[in-house]
Amino acid sequence: MSTLELTEMECMQVQTENVILMPSGLLGFEDIKRFILLTNEEEAPFSWFQVLDDPSLAFLVVPPFDAVPDYQPEISDDDIKYLGIKKPSDALMYNIVTLRSGHATVNLKGPIVINRFTLRGKQVVLQNATKYSVRHPLPLANSGEF
Amino acid sequence: MLVLSRKPGESVVIDGRIKVKIVRLDGDVVKLGIEAPPDIPIHRQEVYDEIQQSNRQALQSKPAAAPKLKEPKSKDSISDRQNVETAGLAA
Repeated sequence: MSTLELTEMECMQVQTENVILMPSGLLGFEDIKRFILLTNEEEAPFSWFQVLDDPSLAFLVVPPFDAVPDYQPEISDDDIKYLGIKKPSDALMYNIVTLRSGHATVNLKGPIVINRFTLRGKQVVLQNATKYSVRHPLPLANSGEF
Repeated sequence: MLVLSRKPGESVVIDGRIKVKIVRLDGDVVKLGIEAPPDIPIHRQEVYDEIQQSNRQALQSKPAAAPKLKEPKSKDSISDRQNVETAGLAA
């Protein structure tokens, strides 16, 4: 086995350990349950929520508090219990970004919430969802350049 | 579609594990109580449809480069944006 193959194997192992399990999938994509979060510094604060079993499919996501400082998501007790979240710092939150003809919007109604310890996640519908848009405009620095 | 008549206080059972109860009638509003295992997501149809559509539009079939986010200037400028958008939706 060559060094390169070994490295790839190691990468795969790392990825498997970081698989985020979404037992209910995403709304409209209920059959896709396993994701990995790909983050690199150059694309901060964005990350890719990559479908594990199909590397050509991914969602662009952003931690909402970076993009929308006054965001106040309310998560239901049932969802908190379902995800096994004991305190706010147990949870990671990412919101899905839509890119279209130079504009970016973010879904503030249905964030992805992940238990950072179990890596179990769910796209929740906020208790205060009516307050927020699924297409909240994101201020871009390079609008029109992608 | 299966259509059943129920009175307030009565229920239907689905698959032996999901119970939907008519809690109250209030004019043209029906209050439903739903008991289901925690792994069964329950959503209002219109919210589900909206988020589902948004997810479909967001899916990138060929991961592109992420855009650059403008540095948030101040809290006020962000909430102005939100107000403008809300006004747009209401109009």
